[in-house]
Amino acid sequence: MAIVAQSSKAGRISRATLAWIVGLLFFFPIFWMVLTSFKTDADAVKPEFLFFFTPTLENYLNMTENYDYWRFARNSVITSVFATIFALAVGIPCAYAMAFNPSRATKDVLMWMLSTKMLPAAAVLYPMTFLTKSVGLFDTHFMVIVVLMLINLPIVIWMLFTYFKEIPKEIIEAGQMDGVNTWGEIREILIPLAWGGIASTALLCFIFCWNEAYWTVRLTTTDAATLSKLIEGNRAPEGLFFGRLSAVSAAAVGPIVVLGWFCQKQLVQGLTFGAVK
Amino acid sequence: MSDRRLPRLLQTPSVLLLLIWMLIPLGMTLYFSFIRYVLNNLRRPEWTTPSISNWRGFGNYEFVLNNKDFLLAIQNSLFIVCSILFLTVILGILIAVLINKAFPGRGIVRVLLISPFFVMPAVNAVLWINMILDPVLGLQGIAVAGLNETIASLQDAPVVGWFFSLWPQLEPISFRATQTSAYAVIIMVTWQWTPFAVLIFMTSLQSEDQQQKEAAILDGAGAWSQFRFLTLPHLGRPIAIVVMIQAIFHLSLYAEIEIVSRGNGNKNLPYLIGEFANNNIGAASATGIFAVILANIVAIFLLRMVGKTLME
Repeated sequence: MAIVAQSSKAGRISRATLAWIVGLLFFFPIFWMVLTSFKTDADAVKPEFLFFFTPTLENYLNMTENYDYWRFARNSVITSVFATIFALAVGIPCAYAMAFNPSRATKDVLMWMLSTKMLPAAAVLYPMTFLTKSVGLFDTHFMVIVVLMLINLPIVIWMLFTYFKEIPKEIIEAGQMDGVNTWGEIREILIPLAWGGIASTALLCFIFCWNEAYWTVRLTTTDAATLSKLIEGNRAPEGLFFGRLSAVSAAAVGPIVVLGWFCQKQLVQGLTFGAVK
Repeated sequence: MSDRRLPRLLQTPSVLLLLIWMLIPLGMTLYFSFIRYVLNNLRRPEWTTPSISNWRGFGNYEFVLNNKDFLLAIQNSLFIVCSILFLTVILGILIAVLINKAFPGRGIVRVLLISPFFVMPAVNAVLWINMILDPVLGLQGIAVAGLNETIASLQDAPVVGWFFSLWPQLEPISFRATQTSAYAVIIMVTWQWTPFAVLIFMTSLQSEDQQQKEAAILDGAGAWSQFRFLTLPHLGRPIAIVVMIQAIFHLSLYAEIEIVSRGNGNKNLPYLIGEFANNNIGAASATGIFAVILANIVAIFLLRMVGKTLME
């Protein structure tokens, strides 16, 4: 033990300093975005106001006027929340069946589900446009919700499956002895037991839905357009609107970054399908 | 046990949904890829609606293969994905090892490090290409201009002036040009995904066998050989997983390409498909099928590599 702790004091200090520098460097672009969001559009591109300037809230106060921010934010919230709820509603029973009543095909089914994630979205771009337009679902919340749910369903099932697998089978079977039916098992035994896992799955699914930027950009125009679409639509302000663009960007990512801080651990377990703990 | 049929049935909604989601659009893509299907064509209006009578056989595939953008797009897709994978894995390992041991403020550094991962891709691209990388108004432009000014003022200084007068005027890099925009995409995606690699490697390092490490130190193993023969093999599985997950995400990279390089030659496969899909649906679909094939090759390769470890 003593040997491990032996590394010199200078070594430890320089290590810590380096770690801090790396951390600050990675955070810098986000910091810069937030800093720029408090500058006026004119100040934002002037070198003399790089770090010292008179902060203003005008960019945030004018978000509605400049970008109609709240409409896009509302769409993002609606689509992400409902996509997450539906993904869980379909995914929990599925993961339950796979974890507690596995068949020989279960592993293959799980692998196949994962492989649907590898299907490049762009390959089915036009058929999706065609289908949604021909049934009148193009640019509707419903369609965005369904698509977001489907693209995240494999990850949701995988995550739930890895959490459920850790619950002893006996507990679930005890419920069966007591004459609880399958729905009762899920509702009264499984969900309370796996609450933490379900919550972190939901959180991660919500984050992915919020950040999704292919279907939300290509299958919406105005009515169901999310924040991704808003930002993508203002991609090249040519330096004119750095201040206001930073503000709307910061508002779009802020809540999610903070949510993300709370689910780092779950992120690892979820995204590596329990293979790294 | 009691009736097992219902539990089994519970899988069907998910399986059916995913099956429909996969098969119907993919089937349509396959169909469109074999017919002439163009959205705007005044001379041949019959081509503007999908119909089996417009059968073109492998004509669309030939058209795509002969399109010079296609090979470039594949090259570009692979170049971007491989560069990102290489950078994130190397940086991820280095940073994970760096912050593995406790130091003051480690929790805060972790939070700072992981943050980029949660930034939405559209914001990531807009932020980097405008506020940071813009050659005039972004930080890059400001920094280069500042450096040039400093050098110019030092040229008149006594004693060291001659040294600085040898320095050339620095040119800011425009990241919206054809080749450099690929670098811009690599930079921004690496920034976003290195945290993910760090997080996974760090989690894995926590479970490294400490006794083995102490034994190695007793045997006089240096820091490098500890890393090379203990840490690196331990990280084998997480590296494979990081590579697999990132390959899945980056092969379909879209928002970043769209935002950074709209209108110039830097395209990857998803972007090229989007471009074709504005008019030539047949070609877009054939390109889509090529993208599926490419993804499958990568997927089979990766699943072979990682599949077993996932299933333990």
